[in-house]
Amino acid sequence: MTPLLRVERMTKTFDALVANREVSFQVNQGDLFGIIGPNGAGKTTLFNCIAGRYAPTSGRIFFDNRDVTSLSAHQMARLGLARTFQVYAASGDLTVLENVMVGCFLRTRSRFKARQRASEILEEFGLADLADTLLVEVPVAYQKLVTAATAVATRPKLLLLDEVAAGLNPTEVEQIMAMIRHINQNRGITVILIEHVMTLVMNLCHRIMVLDSGEKIAEGPPEEVAALPAVIKAYLGERYVQTQLGGQ
Amino acid sequence: MEVVRNAFDFSDFPKTDLLVVGCGLLFLLFFPLLPHSTFAMATMIQFLMFSLYGMGWNTIGGYGGQVDLGKAQYVGIGAYTTAVMLIRWDVPFWVSMPAGVMFSVTWSFIIGYPLFRLTGHYFAIATIATSLVLKDVFEVWDFVGAARGLEILATKYDAVDFTHLIFENDNYYYYILLAFFLLGILIINWFRHSRLGYQLRCIKDNELIAQSLGIDVHKSKVKTYALATAFVSVVGSFHACYIKNIEPEDTMSLDLSILIALMAMLGGAGSLWGPIIGAGILIPLKSYLKEWLGASAGLVGIDLILYALIIMVVSAVEPRGVWGLIEKIRARRT
Amino acid sequence: MDILISSLVAGLLIGSVFALVALGLTIIFGVMDIVNFAHGEFLMIGMYTGILTVQVTGLDPLFSLPVALAVGFALGLLCYVGFVKYLLRGPMVAQLLGTFGLMLFLRNLVLLIFGSEDRGIHTGILVGKSLDLGMGVIIPATKLAAAVLSVLSFVAVYVFIHKTKLGKALQATALNRQAARYMGIPAERMNALAWGIGGATVTAAGALLVNFWSASPYVGLLFTMIAFAIVALGGFGSIPGAFFAALVVGLITEIPGIWDFFTYTFDNDWMADVPMNSFKYTGVYLTYFIIMVVRPRGLFGWKL
Repeated sequence: MTPLLRVERMTKTFDALVANREVSFQVNQGDLFGIIGPNGAGKTTLFNCIAGRYAPTSGRIFFDNRDVTSLSAHQMARLGLARTFQVYAASGDLTVLENVMVGCFLRTRSRFKARQRASEILEEFGLADLADTLLVEVPVAYQKLVTAATAVATRPKLLLLDEVAAGLNPTEVEQIMAMIRHINQNRGITVILIEHVMTLVMNLCHRIMVLDSGEKIAEGPPEEVAALPAVIKAYLGERYVQTQLGGQ
Repeated sequence: MEVVRNAFDFSDFPKTDLLVVGCGLLFLLFFPLLPHSTFAMATMIQFLMFSLYGMGWNTIGGYGGQVDLGKAQYVGIGAYTTAVMLIRWDVPFWVSMPAGVMFSVTWSFIIGYPLFRLTGHYFAIATIATSLVLKDVFEVWDFVGAARGLEILATKYDAVDFTHLIFENDNYYYYILLAFFLLGILIINWFRHSRLGYQLRCIKDNELIAQSLGIDVHKSKVKTYALATAFVSVVGSFHACYIKNIEPEDTMSLDLSILIALMAMLGGAGSLWGPIIGAGILIPLKSYLKEWLGASAGLVGIDLILYALIIMVVSAVEPRGVWGLIEKIRARRT
Repeated sequence: MDILISSLVAGLLIGSVFALVALGLTIIFGVMDIVNFAHGEFLMIGMYTGILTVQVTGLDPLFSLPVALAVGFALGLLCYVGFVKYLLRGPMVAQLLGTFGLMLFLRNLVLLIFGSEDRGIHTGILVGKSLDLGMGVIIPATKLAAAVLSVLSFVAVYVFIHKTKLGKALQATALNRQAARYMGIPAERMNALAWGIGGATVTAAGALLVNFWSASPYVGLLFTMIAFAIVALGGFGSIPGAFFAALVVGLITEIPGIWDFFTYTFDNDWMADVPMNSFKYTGVYLTYFIIMVVRPRGLFGWKL
């Protein structure tokens, strides 16, 4: 159980707004770690800080036994951290294959190697049929698969998935779950995911962490965390009440 | 050598395209042998020059999506380096041209580094600003002739002077430029297949995602900007020897910068043939409209009005240019 | 000393007119995030409107202001409805290209009609009159009138935007387009209104400028760049920012005069050798570049 990522008392503020307050946690090699919490709890900000898009206001982040607190996003990618975004605003003219190739180009200069590796990954993710389609023209569920495939193409040690299952139907969620499990088990990539779809979190994750208003309120195996009163109040409770009222 | 393989790999184009390209090349190769007026010859040379300018612009502007409206400053640096070195020290073109590229690329790094902290409109306007500043400097700098400019006296040289690139007959200029043109196509074809090319297209798509895939966005842009600059500077050097009379108003004006960007955008930014198509349409149109409407009919400006209307229609109807239109029609057919 | 004060006063006066030049650009940008490269061409048309009004009606040049406002409003509206509207669907590149096309179109249309020679207005009650502030500082009445009328127009537009219902709707659209639409504000009409006001103000500035600045079809670009520099300095979309930034830019264009002052004061040969007059507008371009790189939000900007 070697730690791959360690976040130490990390705080991130935007002017007066505190997005993350003194968050500490650790993710081990091979883990499948979930982060849950209500909207606005600071989950995506946490990802952005880890991935180098934002510099934390205070605290430190260690990745693979290195202090990476001040590294930028592309440097983190080179060290072996990949991520997906909630909104993939692709507007351009890259096809699915070309997208994955760009990911492969992180580890090779050769177009032929990149193309070959990209084709293999598309095959592996069951996307080979879409290879020559423009990414913008691909259905949303598949776009998410493609972005995950592109992230995997950079050969990461750690993959951050930001709400990959949002807005998908149950069949598609099954598909995504199979993919995450495959990435984690067969490829040996450590995964941290942010998710609102509880079936996915409960079924997949080894451990989960709960954020509320920027602070960590619980961490542990999914079943235990889900039973904690504080968590039910902050997160599940709210959901539960909503479903009882027929709001969802 | 993968570089060479990439440069000659045109396999992603349909056979009909390659056939059209082949016919076009044959025409270009034999054009001087066909009966033609000197005006047609001058237009063809302009076409080749602007194709090359457009190809250079296309790397950063088309594939990278960074609308650069200051390319004329590098035309100026290239042209002035060659002209000054030739007039003052009798330096051969083949030495002054690389020297010009060196100066241009150095300058592109100096201003590119801060420039690429900007994006979108802000970047575009800033490129205009840098270009105008440099032009102001050249207009008062006595060493390079200030606003009067420089003139290369052709009579001092032989009728056919390959080392200084001074010829009496335009055919020589034509074939040398054609060689540059073919080399240019190969370089852009390499670029398109290179890692940098792919990364730049990803940057155009979404910079955040590009970063998350390990691309140093700023560095990639500056590198590509230098490549674009080198293209433009080489043609600038050629321009000095061909036109023989350069002044800041011609070589460094905003109009030239816009025209360069326009070639590529009208033909189809971000495609290999775009700038060539654009130059193939705009340059003859501009020359002949001016000849027919401007000079003979006395209607100064009407050529540019028609020209502007074309730009306006293209930008409103099909912003991806002629190439975009071709691809749209193809997609509809299949 | 008189050179210095003259330069400073001249800078502030021309800066006041520049404020009106930049106002339209900042409004259009604030409301719809589009940069209008034809902005200076509107000003150029304003100059010709001023000349024509004087020639046709024989009235004093001061009366050309309302005419220019009307022409500019119509022109801005026409450009939006007939052309710019269609650009908004396309990518940013298309917008740049499109407004460039508009710029070339307007410039060459005027070239075709009026020819390329410089024109100006040399009549009117204010011509030849001036205000003596003492210490050798003399302000030509035409410049003073232009500055005063510019500031008045500027304030009028500012009050319109902040005090009237329509102006507030415009502001709301600038702040959050989507939210404004949900509140029942017709975004499309707000765009048109922004172009109308933008066109009217800059055209009016042209009519004021032509009293002491000669018009030619090529004059537009310089003012487009000046307006960009002002808007960058004041913060894209900020109206008060544009006003103060315009004064700064006005002073920047007077650097040659200030330079002369220091040359005489220090009796410095090296300084006398620098052809500062040729760099009159270089400072403006540099201002844009430096501000954008160092502080892209401008000095007072709230929107980027």
